[in-house]
Amino acid sequence: MTAQAATSHQDTGMVGGRTNWMHRVIYGAGLILVVVFAFFPIYWMLVTSITTEDQVFAFPPKLFPADITLEWYRDFFNNPNLIRYLQNSFIVSTATAIGSLIVSAYAGYSFSKFRYTGRRALMFLILSAQMFPQALLLITLYLMFDSLGILNSYLVLVLSFTTFTLPLCIWMLKSYFDTMPDELIEAARVDGASQFTIIHRILLPIARPAMISTGLFAFIRGWNDFIYALTLAGPQRMTLPPGLVLTYTGEFQTSWPNLMASSLIVSLPVIIVFVFMQRYIVAGLGAGAVKG
Amino acid sequence: MKKQGIFAVGFLLLALVALSLMPVMAQDDEAQDFTFTGWSLNEGATRDVIMLAVDEFATANDVSISDVAYPYNEYLNQVILQARGGNLTGLVQMDVAWMAPLASLGVLEDLSPYIEEGVYAEASLASCQVDGVQYGIPWTTASIGMVANQELLEAAGITEIPTTIAEFEVALEALRAYDTDIIPYAAMTDVAQLKDIIPWIWTFGGTVINEDGEVVLNDEGTIAAVEWYADLLERGLIAADIDRFDARQLFAQGRVGFYEDAIVARALAAGSKPEDLELTVVPVPRPVLDEGDDPQALFWGHCLAVVAGDEAQTAAEFALYLTADETPTTRYFEQLSLPPTNLAFLESEAFQGDEYVAGWTSLITATARPNPFWPYAEAARMEAILGEQVQAAMIGRSSAQDAMDEAAEDIDDLLN
Repeated sequence: MTAQAATSHQDTGMVGGRTNWMHRVIYGAGLILVVVFAFFPIYWMLVTSITTEDQVFAFPPKLFPADITLEWYRDFFNNPNLIRYLQNSFIVSTATAIGSLIVSAYAGYSFSKFRYTGRRALMFLILSAQMFPQALLLITLYLMFDSLGILNSYLVLVLSFTTFTLPLCIWMLKSYFDTMPDELIEAARVDGASQFTIIHRILLPIARPAMISTGLFAFIRGWNDFIYALTLAGPQRMTLPPGLVLTYTGEFQTSWPNLMASSLIVSLPVIIVFVFMQRYIVAGLGAGAVKG
Repeated sequence: MKKQGIFAVGFLLLALVALSLMPVMAQDDEAQDFTFTGWSLNEGATRDVIMLAVDEFATANDVSISDVAYPYNEYLNQVILQARGGNLTGLVQMDVAWMAPLASLGVLEDLSPYIEEGVYAEASLASCQVDGVQYGIPWTTASIGMVANQELLEAAGITEIPTTIAEFEVALEALRAYDTDIIPYAAMTDVAQLKDIIPWIWTFGGTVINEDGEVVLNDEGTIAAVEWYADLLERGLIAADIDRFDARQLFAQGRVGFYEDAIVARALAAGSKPEDLELTVVPVPRPVLDEGDDPQALFWGHCLAVVAGDEAQTAAEFALYLTADETPTTRYFEQLSLPPTNLAFLESEAFQGDEYVAGWTSLITATARPNPFWPYAEAARMEAILGEQVQAAMIGRSSAQDAMDEAAEDIDDLLN
């Protein structure tokens, strides 16, 4: 390499290095902006939850409160109604997750591994149920459940939540079952395995990641629902979302610090589950995305 | 012998019929358990005051009163849904604005047989009527009126409360000149709250809906009011996108000169203001166009409605106890500062001695009028149409005339 070429090469390297550095700075700055945009509301929730009431709307706003208090968190655990709402939320969300998993597992397996008349039409019919705004069906479902005499019960909430989680749960599990080779099932049949054995001892254990992510999706759906829980559940079976609104929002005022503290407490179970189950969730959501 | 036998059988049958009727007859006089539905039943101090009255009545009458609460913002939807499903029973707390939609379902009891003459103020009774039928017993009646921050006004050199629009504009300019960070008048400019322009429409001589039920939103007075409101925004005397929650917080921080709220404004400001801030809340009659005009305001209040059924009588008696009996009425007023509706208490020293409440009642509520949209089941949609078109005029997307022409047409289509 001539000296001229070496110098030119060196110059190009220096320019390339500078360009790389600039790209990294711009990329980093963009990422920071996105992170701030995404996490600032949560940070503000946390700050509000430890701020005294008279400082909540202080102007100019403070990024960190001068006086910190944990009384709003104490208030949550000292309120027996909120504890009841929390229990109701756990019961209903867990039952919704289990119910959705059971039905969607069999339905997903059926759609994936069997061929029969009307299969496609049925699959699209189930998917089209997702297109209905849930609030649109509220009045109809209310009157229907009322005539069945199951209002103000856990059952009515589990049934209504499961109705709206099933379409996506079925499709998620169907997509996962699609990735399982048919040869696995054939081999099991050759070995004399019954349909029951194939499903419960071969396929479902392999589908664990998808089952976990599907179950979690259904759990969160039941945990976060507001309008159905408010309308169908009644005072004794009320879950957290309507319970928090009922407790902390009024005709004239909203107790924002209480609401923020309670919202953070209520979010914790889901956050903890996500942290511990994230590898299953990622695997389950990505199933079927890549062939082979 | 045969005749005696027939007589005996007949007597026995008669006795059996009489015995079977006895529980029904007794039921008519006996107090019945009932449900009390309301949004105040779950709100902090309000709940304590109400539940004390519930317990007293339940104990005295040997009945059980179950309470059901829904959040205020979802209350009307829930109550209507429960009524449609036949699950709404007993006593129901209602905002005066919501009486018509619930009454239209045909589930409410006419309470006029229960109300004695001379117990309640006529205006209060009228606020709980729909098409002339007394579907509610008034629990509290006041108005949405204007309040001022006395310290801020004095600091800005405003020595007298403005009574005319011309004086009001001078006061607003003075506040703006005193401190540009202050909102001189935190008028409702958020679309959802723009129904607050209705009293200004009345002030400028507009009608909204005339006696024949015709929508006249595009008359001269309405156009003048909308143009004036838009002018205030342009001059920086009001701010954009302000709703009542925003205005309350800003007022409590001492950053607003005037704003409009229900009579609870004083209590809300006291609860939200910084400890070191001096803040005296003064009720202000709405400025008028010309001297001698009546100040305009919208009625505000709560009614107690009773769902027709077996428990209606007991529920109605409880409603009368809550609103006319001295003990619960006094407690409700002293602890919540909500004005009562029974004449005896309104004339009492306890009520007249509270300058703020008595002043509000005589200066603002005395000339208040019901929202012209309330008699209609589509009231919420009508208010939304008005709000959208007023906003269009305020941001310059439409002239005031075009906006109000469109509002009048849309509301007319809704009603016909």
